[in-house]
Amino acid sequence: MKKFMPLILLIILIIFPLVYQNAYYQHLMILVFIWVAIGSGWNMIAGFTGQVSFGDAAFFGTGAYTAGLLAHHFGISAWWGMAFGGIMAMAVAFPFGWICFRLRGAYFALASLALNEVCRHIATIAEPLTQGMVGILIMPTFVSKIPYYYIALALAVVSVISVQFIMQTKWGYYFLSIREDQDAAESLGIDTHRYKMVSLNIAAFLTGMAGALFMNYMGFIDPEVVFSLHDISIMAILVGIVGGVGTIYGPAVGAFVMVAVHEFFRTGFFGFFKGLAVLTGSDFLNIAAKYISHAHVLGFGILVVLVILYLPNGIVGDWNKLVGKLVPFKKKEAAT
Amino acid sequence: MKKSKVLIGLILAVALIFSFGVSQSIAADTIKVGIVLPLTGKLAKFGEIENKSFLMALKEINAAGGVNGKKIELIIEDTTGKPDVGRSAIEKLISLDKVVMLGGGYSSSVTWATIAVAQQNKVPFLVNTGSADKITEQGWEYIFRLNPPVSEYPGAFASFLETIATDVKTVAILHENSLFGQSGSKKFVKRCEALGLEVLMKEGYEAGAIDFKPLLIKVKAKKADLVYMISYIMDASLLMRQSKELNLNPKLFVGGAAGFTLPEFKKNAAKASNFVYSATLWTPSVPYPGAQAYYDKFVEIYNEPTEYHGAEAYSAMYVIADALKRAKSLTRKDVRNALASTNLITAFGPVKFISYDKKTNQNKLPTFLVQWIDGNLETVWPKNVATKGYIYPIPKWSKR
Amino acid sequence: MEVFLQTLVAGILKGGLYGLIGLGMSLIMGVMGIINLAHGQLMMVAMYITFVLSHYLGIDPYLSLFVSMPALFLLGVVIQKYTLNPLMEVDSILPENQVLMTVGIGMVLTEIARFIFTSDYKSVRTSYSDATFFLGEISFSIALVIAFFIAIGFTLFMFWFLLKTDIGRSIRATAQDKDAALLMGVNSKRITVITFGLGSALVAAAGTVLMPVYYLFPDIGGPFTRKAFVITILGGLGSTVGAIFGGLTLGLAEAFGATYIGMAYDDMIGLLIFILVLLFLPGGFKRLTKI
Repeated sequence: MKKFMPLILLIILIIFPLVYQNAYYQHLMILVFIWVAIGSGWNMIAGFTGQVSFGDAAFFGTGAYTAGLLAHHFGISAWWGMAFGGIMAMAVAFPFGWICFRLRGAYFALASLALNEVCRHIATIAEPLTQGMVGILIMPTFVSKIPYYYIALALAVVSVISVQFIMQTKWGYYFLSIREDQDAAESLGIDTHRYKMVSLNIAAFLTGMAGALFMNYMGFIDPEVVFSLHDISIMAILVGIVGGVGTIYGPAVGAFVMVAVHEFFRTGFFGFFKGLAVLTGSDFLNIAAKYISHAHVLGFGILVVLVILYLPNGIVGDWNKLVGKLVPFKKKEAAT
Repeated sequence: MKKSKVLIGLILAVALIFSFGVSQSIAADTIKVGIVLPLTGKLAKFGEIENKSFLMALKEINAAGGVNGKKIELIIEDTTGKPDVGRSAIEKLISLDKVVMLGGGYSSSVTWATIAVAQQNKVPFLVNTGSADKITEQGWEYIFRLNPPVSEYPGAFASFLETIATDVKTVAILHENSLFGQSGSKKFVKRCEALGLEVLMKEGYEAGAIDFKPLLIKVKAKKADLVYMISYIMDASLLMRQSKELNLNPKLFVGGAAGFTLPEFKKNAAKASNFVYSATLWTPSVPYPGAQAYYDKFVEIYNEPTEYHGAEAYSAMYVIADALKRAKSLTRKDVRNALASTNLITAFGPVKFISYDKKTNQNKLPTFLVQWIDGNLETVWPKNVATKGYIYPIPKWSKR
Repeated sequence: MEVFLQTLVAGILKGGLYGLIGLGMSLIMGVMGIINLAHGQLMMVAMYITFVLSHYLGIDPYLSLFVSMPALFLLGVVIQKYTLNPLMEVDSILPENQVLMTVGIGMVLTEIARFIFTSDYKSVRTSYSDATFFLGEISFSIALVIAFFIAIGFTLFMFWFLLKTDIGRSIRATAQDKDAALLMGVNSKRITVITFGLGSALVAAAGTVLMPVYYLFPDIGGPFTRKAFVITILGGLGSTVGAIFGGLTLGLAEAFGATYIGMAYDDMIGLLIFILVLLFLPGGFKRLTKI
């Protein structure tokens, strides 16, 4: 049963837009898929290799800008960015990793944060190239969401499967050994610098592809959207830790939870509270609805604090613990 | 097996909430109009002013019988000031709430990202604040704009330079690195060239700097006659206060709308705000019927001052109601056609969507030049609407 | 020449303030080895306290130091005791969980501030907010000069505190070698709690003295967090003198960058210096000064 869960889920996701033809929910699912790809990338470098990155937006933005600039300057379809975006992100990741992987732990995290900010500034200042804050607008290719839905789904599936595949090869074991104890790995003859580079570049490639898809789908980017420390880099971390650090399906679960939480709060539980307030005519609920829709970031923050405190390995990593807490009588049932 | 039960339970719970959201929107017999505004985040302050103005106008319209017997229902969505969230919001409005038309759109970048969706889905969108020029330069027939584009903001100021301040020869332009600042400063450079002024420097900065002195000391060393700044409130206040500290004395300090006309600017810059000019689109004293009345009513209801963004939103609501009233049927296409033939006088000025230069469906409005004189924001140019005489050149800091 | 001198003055005055911001971060990073990414947000909280005291009770911002610092000390103690310390016992894959936790705390603090005060800009205007004096052609902002001297004062005090008091010595011992300190009978948990409190109180002081010349809104913390870790890395972990030099270096680099390269580059200059120092002078100025 457990083995087939991902497959069943995949089939549901494939059928979903055909059965439920609502562009809004399709839009949300596309966001989820993009976040799955970003989260998988982050999980590769941070979750499996132990090098926490605060600079995913640098790769994401590079991918997005590659797609956007190809379309803007050369009139080439932005879909080419799906191929080149990942490569350009690697072109950023490579020198960065080369130089900064001699830093360890928190210092690497800070360096990646600095990379994020430097990229954002460059994109803002280099107006002739990037148009600065004016941003880049392209007309989306399709009016319907369905093509985007399947492309995004494919990207998400590819990211999850490639992470799963890589983790079964010997690279995967090298990554894990670097995470567990870098010095021990070194003494076993593993070229840690090299394998950290491999991991970072895979992560950058996935994230860059996601960025290019974002450009194609959203049709608009500016430096503060795609190089955002809070909305991309930190969100990527949140997707990773909420879902489960160092698990294959963690980012998928994390992406779904984060997008859902964001949208729940933003719309005040899809007008649930507002509806209740109208039905009962209660002023209190009306005010509560207003506050709730203002509190989506607060919701995130509290979620993060709680997850780190009580589910340090995320929803997937601590699934058994979570179920144990939600279903206290489970043990008894299992016994009978 | 237990796990899958928990999972199914979760899915059911989610589905329940989703369906609640859907059933919510199948409500009474009203005309639904979607509005996107930043109600949280950094831009929330202005979003809130627009929100209140929309609601105020809505109340007036519905109290007067609504549109052809039906009431208008506004569905206001929060964009949080971010283009991608704005896009989620507009998707929801179009496909979930099935609104007839859209309005709002505060910042240029969010507006820019959302109008493409509206155009693709053929939903009329009346932009009332997003000011980047290119918004109406795409030839998109479903996009209309009430406010003038950013390149036209300094219109009145340019005529002031030509007729009064003719001895201004050199210019320094300081702008924040935002869509508004970067595109506005570029357009202003072009305007200066057309006027035969020499642009000595044009420099951007990241909003939120503590110390502008390195920038201002350069302006001082270059001895520019005119300092033109495109900044939001707090940067605007700091720029003026530090200009005073540095004893920087150009012939003119001019702000390119945005931060320089707000009451907070006066409060924070205190004495340093005196005699500063600014381009603006609207003040309560403009010669349009209902302008002063709108201001007074807003202050009375909400007990706080309002400014041009609010007037834009208030008037946009009337334009929307007018278009809905004249539409042959309440389909998006007919509403669009009705909007295209708008000819209405509002508190923000006459509204008529025309095509000129590269722009389509753009409302053309005159702009004004205002000056802070002894704590009051006075309209000083064009002369026929002036509330007080201009003070030019502005006195040196030491002589005040 | 005037341009050069005025830039120099601007850089030094701003640098003093940066030093005070970096000082707290430096202590926390030195003792606990974690990066506190909620540092700027703690400063924001202190600034709101200053604002409330000044706006509603009319208390002078400098006097409110006596409220904001103890309040932030308590807040820091609570954060360390109830959210960060428990993480030491939690079994998790990433050792950086504490850093991620501070991100979460930062978000919560920012959003609570937004809840209470909305996103509106707030500021405290005093009679000396834009008072200046001139030395020759060069202008000095009085409020910034005061802030500069307060920063220097706190640095000297911390220097003395770490060197001469028992708690100070324990903090230094924990920073140097946690296990050895434990063996020597230092209660390391208590020390981390005190350090986090002290660090928070110091950044509170920075926020409070900045208030008369600056302004305030809930998102103000982020950029200051970034400046704080740049300064800390520049100066060296746990080094008080290093923090002041780090702050001055950053202040001067930003000011000269803004004058001679362009204002748009000032943030970037700091970050590039940061990466260079990480790579070529790991340990920061502390390596050079040994204190």
